Amino acid sequence: MSARVELQHIYKTYFRHKWLLGKGERVPVLKDVSLIIPQDRVVGLVGESGCGKSTLCKVLLGIEKPTAGTVLVNGQDVSRLNSVGRKNLCRQMQVVYQDPYSSLDPRMTVRQILAEPLDIHRLHTDPKKREQFLKELLTSVGLAASYLDRYPHEFSGGQRQRICIARALALDPQILVADEPVSALDVSVQAQILNLLSDIKRTRQLSVLFVTHDLAVARFLCDDIAVMYQGRIVEQAPAQELLDRPLHPYTKLLLAAVPQVGKPVAEAVMAGKQNNNVTGCPFAPRCPQASDACRQDVPDLQEQTSAHYVACVQLSKEK
Amino acid sequence: MAQTPVLQVKDLHVDFTADKKVYPVLRGLSYSLEPGRVLAVVGESGSGKTVHALSILNLLPPAAKVSSGEILYNGQNLLTLSPRQLQTVRGQKIAMIFQDPSASLNPVLTIGEQLTETLIAHKRMTKVQACGEAAALLTRVGISDAQKRLNEYPFQFSGGMCQRVMIAMALALSPDILIADEPTTALDVTIQAQIIRLIKQLQQQTHMAVIFITHNLALASQVADEVLVLYGGLCMEHAPAAELFAHAQHPYTQGLLASLASLHERPEHLPAIAGQPPAAGEDFTGCPFAPRCVHATEKCRQTLPPLTQTGEHRVRCFWESAK
Repeated sequence: MSARVELQHIYKTYFRHKWLLGKGERVPVLKDVSLIIPQDRVVGLVGESGCGKSTLCKVLLGIEKPTAGTVLVNGQDVSRLNSVGRKNLCRQMQVVYQDPYSSLDPRMTVRQILAEPLDIHRLHTDPKKREQFLKELLTSVGLAASYLDRYPHEFSGGQRQRICIARALALDPQILVADEPVSALDVSVQAQILNLLSDIKRTRQLSVLFVTHDLAVARFLCDDIAVMYQGRIVEQAPAQELLDRPLHPYTKLLLAAVPQVGKPVAEAVMAGKQNNNVTGCPFAPRCPQASDACRQDVPDLQEQTSAHYVACVQLSKEK
Repeated sequence: MAQTPVLQVKDLHVDFTADKKVYPVLRGLSYSLEPGRVLAVVGESGSGKTVHALSILNLLPPAAKVSSGEILYNGQNLLTLSPRQLQTVRGQKIAMIFQDPSASLNPVLTIGEQLTETLIAHKRMTKVQACGEAAALLTRVGISDAQKRLNEYPFQFSGGMCQRVMIAMALALSPDILIADEPTTALDVTIQAQIIRLIKQLQQQTHMAVIFITHNLALASQVADEVLVLYGGLCMEHAPAAELFAHAQHPYTQGLLASLASLHERPEHLPAIAGQPPAAGEDFTGCPFAPRCVHATEKCRQTLPPLTQTGEHRVRCFWESAK
């Protein structure tokens, strides 16, 4: 099981300009994030809004440059690539976004949308073969081949998301980044798209980075889950292990808050403001078990049990 | 149970008109709500759940019109009230909170100005009295340091805090009915749990009735006493919450419940409902769910099933086992 993608000690800091006079401020968004996406596995990234999930996706895709740290794709340092290398990288790595309404150009037909990446990379140039390829591509995501000449507005949200997935698969990538691909869809359609993603992953042997805020969805699709809190990964483990035996207090809090049929509303969920000036563990202000030790140093991600990593002072003490 | 209902919706039809065409969005919705009960209205986009809420307060957009039906608040038909009479009901007796809290607050007024505005207008308080009351309201919805925060602007509040302010505003006049239209959809799960707890707690203290609109069945199961499932502008199933989640009878409700991903199991495939929900105002004969239903027969495609009631459970389905 070799690593497709390796993110090593990624930092990303945005600079926020102050209006008129006054100094701007630094906003650290990612703080020392390391993550491995193995071949043929789905890694889930879970956390609340503002924790840096989407920024991590952008760094991986090369849309944002990390302030520090390295991104390795197939062992290759992405920052050292020239333009040809970058183009080849794009072929290996594709993305599906959250909102299928704003991620398709309303003035392009489905054929144009799906053919654009092929034109750029000069693939399937023979008209007959291309036609055949596009039809197969569309049927592989559960849409009729006759839809090729329609416009995005003729489709519903779920169908649009299928088109987005087809576009991402057009180049036959090795890596798929999916940023909340089902949260904008109707409930009765979400399950269809999740099934489709699960099938695609199996048949195409993709490595997937799957961003979501829904732990139940992550349980269905992901092999591993990493939980992020304020720009840091606080817990990482195989999906079943993480959900059945969560160790970090924040993961427990998230799990308790997921509404489930037949489960009463979560008891006293701790309030907490995101605060970048906290020293020590970023979760300490909300943590019921926090002690003085927690407020001193930022805990490192340490292996607790096999393949189960947690960043918590309390747990390392018990060990 | 024999309480007189505080709100009765009778055969409500709402149509949208665009390009001289009429699109029916609600096709005959009826229910009654007793004081102190929480009714969850569950539906997907285009099912008419928000339109139904807006029509109760007469807040429908100009293109929409209630074509027939009655909405009775304590026996008084809200649809025939003059704007002036309506003013005494809207906000005072029936209050509403919306989906996106930060978009529902005025960004250039302080929280205090927005809260006291209501109190001064409806309760004829002086400014000083209103400020005191506003601070008390903020404390009640769990905002600490209320006096100071009254002078802050909405952008200084997080999403969850803004929603608390909206709830405080809705509660300012102690309404009989609170309509909450997807109040937690824009919020994180942890914040969602806090807001749900808060709404439940306040509901129990004040004994108001709540109409809770959501697309999330699991959430509905946590807050509601009864659940009404909307699909294509029609009530598909309506039952007490415990009954509905234990014995869902309509194939749509069953399908929705089955397709929810679980935290502890990992099936090979989720049992998804095939097809798409109908768009708002889409034309159909027969049952709106028939094209996606595994039990559908020719009869379902031809005629609309009636809403049949057994005990407190209402279902709209021809399928034998649904009765």
